Amino acid sequence: MADEAKAGHLPNLRGTAAPADPYRLPRQRRGQTPQMHGRYPDYDVLDEIAEWDELTRGVVLGRLDDVPPRRFFTEPEWNALTAFCDVVLAQDSDPRIPVLAYIDEKLHVGRLDGFQYADMPDDRDTWRLVAQGLDEAAQAAGAASYESAPCEVRARIAGEFSDGKPRGDVWDELNVARAFAVVMRSVLAAFYSHPWAWNEIGFGGPAYPRGYARLGIDLGEAWEGGEALDVDPVSDVKDRGLE
Amino acid sequence: MRAVLKGSLRPKDNDSAYLLDVHRRGVPGRERMCRYQDSDEVDMLIVGCGAGGSVLAQRLARAGWRVVVLERGPFWDPDSDWVSDEEGSSHLYWNDKRIVGGSDPVAMGKNNSGHGVGGSMVHYAGYAPRFHPSDFDVKARDGVGADWPIGYWDLKPHFERVERELPVAGQDWPWGDPHRYPHSPHPIGGAAERAWAGARAHGIEMRVGPVAITNGVFGNRPHCIYRGFCLQGCKVNAKASPLVTHVPDAIEHGVEIRADAMAVRIEVDDAGRCTGVTYLRAGRERFQRAGAVAVCGYSIESPRLLLNSTSSGFPAGVGNNADQVGRYLMVQGAPQIAGRFPELLRMYKAPPPEVSSEHFYETDQARGFARGFSIQTVSPLPIGWAEHVLADGHRGAALREYMRDYNHWSVLGALCELLPQSENRVTLAGETDQFDMPIARFDYSQCDNDRANIAYAKQTMHDIWEAAGAQDVLSIDRYAHLVGGCRMGTNADASVIDQDHRVWGVPNLFVCDGSVMPTQGSANPALTIMALASRLGERLTAKRVTPQPGHRANAPLGARA
Ligand SMILES: Cc1cc2nc3c(=O)[nH]c(=O)nc-3n(C[C@H](O)[C@H](O)[C@H](O)COP(=O)(O)OP(=O)(O)OC[C@H]3O[C@@H](n4cnc5c(N)ncnc54)[C@H](O)[C@@H]3O)c2cc1C
Ligand code: SF4
Repeated sequence: MADEAKAGHLPNLRGTAAPADPYRLPRQRRGQTPQMHGRYPDYDVLDEIAEWDELTRGVVLGRLDDVPPRRFFTEPEWNALTAFCDVVLAQDSDPRIPVLAYIDEKLHVGRLDGFQYADMPDDRDTWRLVAQGLDEAAQAAGAASYESAPCEVRARIAGEFSDGKPRGDVWDELNVARAFAVVMRSVLAAFYSHPWAWNEIGFGGPAYPRGYARLGIDLGEAWEGGEALDVDPVSDVKDRGLE
Repeated sequence: MRAVLKGSLRPKDNDSAYLLDVHRRGVPGRERMCRYQDSDEVDMLIVGCGAGGSVLAQRLARAGWRVVVLERGPFWDPDSDWVSDEEGSSHLYWNDKRIVGGSDPVAMGKNNSGHGVGGSMVHYAGYAPRFHPSDFDVKARDGVGADWPIGYWDLKPHFERVERELPVAGQDWPWGDPHRYPHSPHPIGGAAERAWAGARAHGIEMRVGPVAITNGVFGNRPHCIYRGFCLQGCKVNAKASPLVTHVPDAIEHGVEIRADAMAVRIEVDDAGRCTGVTYLRAGRERFQRAGAVAVCGYSIESPRLLLNSTSSGFPAGVGNNADQVGRYLMVQGAPQIAGRFPELLRMYKAPPPEVSSEHFYETDQARGFARGFSIQTVSPLPIGWAEHVLADGHRGAALREYMRDYNHWSVLGALCELLPQSENRVTLAGETDQFDMPIARFDYSQCDNDRANIAYAKQTMHDIWEAAGAQDVLSIDRYAHLVGGCRMGTNADASVIDQDHRVWGVPNLFVCDGSVMPTQGSANPALTIMALASRLGERLTAKRVTPQPGHRANAPLGARA
């Protein structure tokens, strides 16, 4: 392998150390990112909306302008799952992408993914059971609910859930590892379909009808966001002693 | 000479690209489309307007057959129905519920089948390789899988014909039966450049393509604009799908495509002949009469429809008296390994299908398993990349970190030939759907050869990234490309259809889609599915196979609206 130190911010290369602190990154100067940090601080994909076809523009801007109201989840379910989404997406400060609102809408109108594991209930029931399971696990740890549990407890429960570990009345109705997969499929789709997340990762967003003209290593279109640091951000982290 | 003419050869007997409009993407001429009455006995009623069904319809219509296609999904108009957005494209998939089981269940949804005119090719990636000659007799060669009742050379003229119709762009192809492509290779993006260099350093040849994407203007289909949303439906009409490659010509030659029509039962009379299809449209049950029926509904829906079509002669579903319908369903193992580089690669630019290798396609005893795999670039968009990162075990801050690093990664995917097994099967579940039709259950379990193949392919991709100097790698296990379920064979006890796609025991019922394949090779299947349909079309129109010996009604039916 090449010089590993150069990619020192990448979790696989950090051994047992915790992930690098995202607040080390530059603050977003243009547009928004979730938590306002990112690698492309001067890039706002929304500067390009005039170049998008009308239909796509409507769909993408709809995510910003029409955040759906809560209709599917009950209030306790909503509270537990909001806290859970914050943990698995590391959304620990504002601005946050309201992922659960998009998921609520999908489940409310029954826009499901076209398959169900033989050892699992309908996705809509899976979501409700997960919400109950999170509260149950938090109560077993002495908290009133998942939402009100201390930060470390919430993180531990989410971690155990992702490892398929929890047992208990509710969890036993589910194949826990699969339930995590079902839930995360929607969580990730909601988060990474949001233009703020595209700003954070430097994704070009919708590209019709304009398309791309400059393919190739280190080539960008004039409007594509450059990384804030013209050195590899990875080694920069190290050079600036931020690890 | 062929090299000089690259890109300028017009396909024979298919004007689709020229019938399209220059300024609009939707298929023109729908207002003038032929319409048949339910009571008209059409010559061929096709269920499903995807890879198999569209090509068959176009071929038959060119020979003057009266054809109706029932399609469950909408008649897409790329201008008004499709967006340049990942999550906003979920309406392209077959989203009705299916139950998946077995010890290695296969996720469906976006990954496994489409609906609407054009079928799954509307959101397929666009790779269009041929099967290898060895794919047709793996049992004789390696003692695994099954032998096909037909061979590569039966399909070769149809591979060439379909490659010109799509058209396919790529470098001269050295593997299998070496051949050239009608369009030149596309330029490649940064992510593919890295993959190419890594493969070279590891001693593996790669080639650009083969992709069914225009490189240059083709009829009224524009050049690709490299915007990278091929798996969300091509709004440009540069990527081939039957919607632009066969449907326009089919309509021009009198085919009626009846969209939003869900076939629920194939009707078979007491004499064992199929009389037509019962379908639901706008909430009403209807019955279309037909002299012959071809089922082209994809590897899950075709077996489901046959199983649901019970009659006195076929109490367990039409064609299922030997309990073969739905069996030997296959998926390719499709693990992906991503490599990280210091430079900005921006893999969202250019079509995800760029370069590929069939270096490992054939059996090599030294590897310790039968058959092989191919390697291709896959370049996921952000949601696909997030699923990849999650599968490697990252959550929370770690997941976000890898996501922010998106532009530094390049992703390779393998397609591993997994073996057909009789217990990997579609059956009917107890639950019914909104049409009151039992939903499909699909059980899938791998065998030892499958696991060894996937493990070897993953190691190979790791080695490529190491040779390329990648700083980190991430991996994900997944599947792609369902085929089989109504396999063709020489024996009614061990297959569902004969070599002319005719369901054993029903002279005028055919199956013509990916479900007919006895083995799957490690090539993406769409080109081969189209070539099979092209061959069947040729045999039917040349009367080498007749649905109803001695009978072809010629009375004029159908009217242009
Ligand atoms: C994400 C993705 C990427 C892919 N990438 C590639 C690739 O790069 N290269 C490649 O070669 N292949 C690829 N494939 C696979 C390829 O698209 C399919 O194998 C191929 O389209 C299958 O052809 P088919 O004729 O069997 O079915 P389809 O093309 O799926 O057509 C079946 C049609 O039948 C309709 N139908 C089904 N049941 C009924 C019913 N009861 N009544 C009415 N209509 C019905 C469906 O709505 C559908 O339109 C990909 C597939 C997917 C999903
Ligand atoms: S990259 Fe080319 S083929 Fe793919 S969707 Fe864009 S224009 Fe169509």
